[in-house]
Amino acid sequence: MQIRIRCNCGEGACAEWAIVELQGVVEPQPSIGDQIQGLEIGRLCCTSSSSSSQGSYTFTVGYHELTGSRVSLKKPLLVLKKMKAAVDGDERGTELEVIAIIRHKILFKSRPKALISRPQIKEKKMS
Amino acid sequence: MEMEIEMVEPTEGWGGGGAEAVRSLAAGSSISVRYHSLFGSHDDMLLLEVDEKLLHDVLHHRVTIRGQPDEEAVLCTPSSTYAMKFVGTSNSVLLIPAGEPTPSSSNGTCNGSETNNKAVPDAVASVIKVAPGYMELTQAAPRLDKLKSLLNERPYRLEEDLENDVWFKRGLYRWQDLVEEIQASDQELRDGLRSLSAVEVDGYWRIVDGKTMDEILNMILTNSVLHEWPLNALSENEVVSILEADGFPGRIVLHCLETFGSKVENSGSNLWSLDEKRVCLHFAVQILGGGKMKLEIFMAKWMRSIPSGMHGDLKMLEGEVLYEKLGVENWIHAFSVSDLPSTPAERFAALFRERPKWEWKNLEPYIRDLHVPGLSSEGLLIKYTRRTQPNADVEPIFSAR
Repeated sequence: MQIRIRCNCGEGACAEWAIVELQGVVEPQPSIGDQIQGLEIGRLCCTSSSSSSQGSYTFTVGYHELTGSRVSLKKPLLVLKKMKAAVDGDERGTELEVIAIIRHKILFKSRPKALISRPQIKEKKMS
Repeated sequence: MEMEIEMVEPTEGWGGGGAEAVRSLAAGSSISVRYHSLFGSHDDMLLLEVDEKLLHDVLHHRVTIRGQPDEEAVLCTPSSTYAMKFVGTSNSVLLIPAGEPTPSSSNGTCNGSETNNKAVPDAVASVIKVAPGYMELTQAAPRLDKLKSLLNERPYRLEEDLENDVWFKRGLYRWQDLVEEIQASDQELRDGLRSLSAVEVDGYWRIVDGKTMDEILNMILTNSVLHEWPLNALSENEVVSILEADGFPGRIVLHCLETFGSKVENSGSNLWSLDEKRVCLHFAVQILGGGKMKLEIFMAKWMRSIPSGMHGDLKMLEGEVLYEKLGVENWIHAFSVSDLPSTPAERFAALFRERPKWEWKNLEPYIRDLHVPGLSSEGLLIKYTRRTQPNADVEPIFSAR
């Protein structure tokens, strides 16, 4: 059995997708439920862009702020999508189609910083 | 990590800006990252890590994934085989597809203040999927053991009559059948067929039965004496026509010449030279077919069977026979490297079943054909054997790890 990998975009013309990678899991508030389509996760901000193309970024998610940078992948990632291959209406098994390529990612590898700090408790003066 | 986020209208299509907006985000600018309107697990979508060398083959439709449902999949280029392994991650890998380009890649600044152009809609990076990991490729040896067992289901015999055979196609394999069954690249599959001395007969790849090959070789040798053909300059046309007249199929006669000889270079009239080592080895294996025998008896029989003009030497039998000393006598028996598994773990297991301790000079012929990408023969020995050497003057002994 063999599954063919095909690419309709041709070399150099592949759509380029992006990856934002962060430590841990992003969890919506329980009140939101399963309908998260269209929900804003956070705001990605480019704070500087150095000549080495490794710019600095912040990603603000709710009351959390992450700091990260753009990383070139040592080996590119291809995004493959399973397709039913058909010839004259006959299904001929599965094919994998290259739909995109990923060459960089924005990596947030440090733990998030809380944007709201706990209120300070004033010490009572000793009389 | 929890977050308090509000519901917004789902963005249609791929969402404005998409991956392009993320990549071209200018210093001091920001972009909204949201769940795509089609966000989900998208199990039909996977990430495959490829190096630049492989990328060229993938983008030019030269790559397939091969294997049966019960086998671990391999990826094959025209000439190499790669094992596929899923590498999971505990990080959140947000996958952002390319989107429809918008007039501006962002409409926010990092401190949240509005940009001057209020008419420009907000560019959105829409997350289509959180990837659980990616498929990693590691160059691997082709899995050719199955090829041998498939072709051995039905070896070619002279007396077979396919036309009137009820089971005509059972146990017979065309090239495309082998491609579907064997986890190897096309080039490696061709090399595997060559190493098994397989031949294409009526569109099916076959191993020729040993008895048939022996019969044809003997006919060639007999005719070489009768017609005074030199064994290093056999005329293809003459050999084929004479043996065809005796009822041997021309294609199989030619295959016999290919198996036991090689074409003489710059010979205008298709001349073949029989290879001394291959011919002598054939007769040695034939003699040892009956099992273990005393070395001197074997040598006497072997020398008698070798065609005149050829000279047999025990060095020719490396990787084909094993010797053992029983009392004062030396014995010999057939033990062919070609009958051993091709995967290192199984190969070493078979070797140590045959003999618990090996000297390097005896072991080397049985592992020299093992090629594991990224692992030298020394590496293989370290991984699969235990080496003992009482002192520097003594040959090291290898036993099972």
